[in-house]
Amino acid sequence: MYFFRREKILCRYQFALQDAVEPALLQRALDAALSAAPYYQVQLVQEKRSFFLEPNPNPCLVYQGSAQRDIPEETNGYLFSVSCEGDTVYFDWYHFLMDGHGVSPFLTRILEQYCNLRYGTAFANTPILCSPAYDIEAMMEKYPAPTATENTMQRDVVQTYEGRMRRTRVRLTKQSLVDRAVENGVKPFTALAGLLSLALRSYLGKDEIQYSYSTDTRKEAGVPDALYNCVCSFQSSVKLNDDTRLADIVPEMDAEVLRTLQPEAKLRQMAQQMSWVYKVDQQKAPLRIKQRVFQMGEYISGVSADFWLSYLGNPLLPATPELQKYTKDFNVWVPPDGGSMGVEASSLNGIITLCIENKAEMPGLAGMIRTAFEKEDITVLEAVDLDT
Amino acid sequence: MERAEIISQILAILEDVAEVSPEDVNENSVLMDDLDLSSMEILTIVADLEETFGLRIPEKELRNFVTMGDLVDYLAANAG
Repeated sequence: MYFFRREKILCRYQFALQDAVEPALLQRALDAALSAAPYYQVQLVQEKRSFFLEPNPNPCLVYQGSAQRDIPEETNGYLFSVSCEGDTVYFDWYHFLMDGHGVSPFLTRILEQYCNLRYGTAFANTPILCSPAYDIEAMMEKYPAPTATENTMQRDVVQTYEGRMRRTRVRLTKQSLVDRAVENGVKPFTALAGLLSLALRSYLGKDEIQYSYSTDTRKEAGVPDALYNCVCSFQSSVKLNDDTRLADIVPEMDAEVLRTLQPEAKLRQMAQQMSWVYKVDQQKAPLRIKQRVFQMGEYISGVSADFWLSYLGNPLLPATPELQKYTKDFNVWVPPDGGSMGVEASSLNGIITLCIENKAEMPGLAGMIRTAFEKEDITVLEAVDLDT
Repeated sequence: MERAEIISQILAILEDVAEVSPEDVNENSVLMDDLDLSSMEILTIVADLEETFGLRIPEKELRNFVTMGDLVDYLAANAG
């Protein structure tokens, strides 16, 4: 998906640890983890018509400070960056190389190796292997994309906000979200999507909210250990009014989510979305033209939404209790790509943290989320707009 | 920019991208039906036009490009 994307999508995972981070130990931990994970030891080479990856012989450094570095220009060519400040480890990465599931084994390994050096734990450092590429041509043959028609070109799409990015963070208890989900007989993901839709009706001033979500397709594609991007995404919408409550909307939303999460539906969607990448790649055109074609194709295919919801769950892989003991807090920041805002939901130590990057100009998002969530008996621990 | 010049540029791109002969095209030609262009070809033509005319065509305009004349009208109104 990110192969022809012009915009550089840089993501950030940040872990607050029990104590101030020692940079020298973190460097040793990074070196050890990287020695076991050749997939990440690469640099990006760009030619007139394409990109490719090749081994990166440069040292991979730990940087000090919280500022996000430009990847790969300021990171010795690496497509990720590890830095630290105070008690926090920042892990920035370029979405081109991997998705959230692809990055988790590596950053978990770095944290494990750091804990070995800092706290005397005994985490192993076995090789982190990557499944081979799946057969996109076979997938496209099994699930051929429907032929585009004039209607495809002329469908109406959401006009997203494209203002200055601002961050909002919301924390809630996992138990209160699970309780609301159980009461309504739906997945916690659906309950969260419903709550956000209610909040965004107020914030965006719209009675119909469109949302998109991605789902992991490693298992369905037969590449369970893929470290590269391996997802498909779906879009849906919900109509709301002044009297709408969570219970009114989530059953239908959940039915749609469950339908899309069926293996066949995921594979079909993945094939259709990746076939667009494949077809763009087949064009005999300069890279900049391919990138623009890809961008317009994503737009007309209806990827745009009012918000994207990514339910990461626990960012640690494997999520051992021993490692969680040394981890106080976690944030994940991902720029919205094809949406007015991107919501990243992670779960650690019984708290769900929503990290929202928002391109809409209106103030007051945190307050409106708190109001909508508390009206549905969600225990909100924090709701704060971090950038004014 | 003169309308004839715009048409000439579009015809050259059409021929290059989709091997459509200029004599088969008029302003009423429907891109998908009459010229048998795929969505990929239309988007490639639009991307080429952006480069040729040095402008960025907003994605919301794409749905309005049904005929050759629609492309010409847009560029006549927006290209310097």
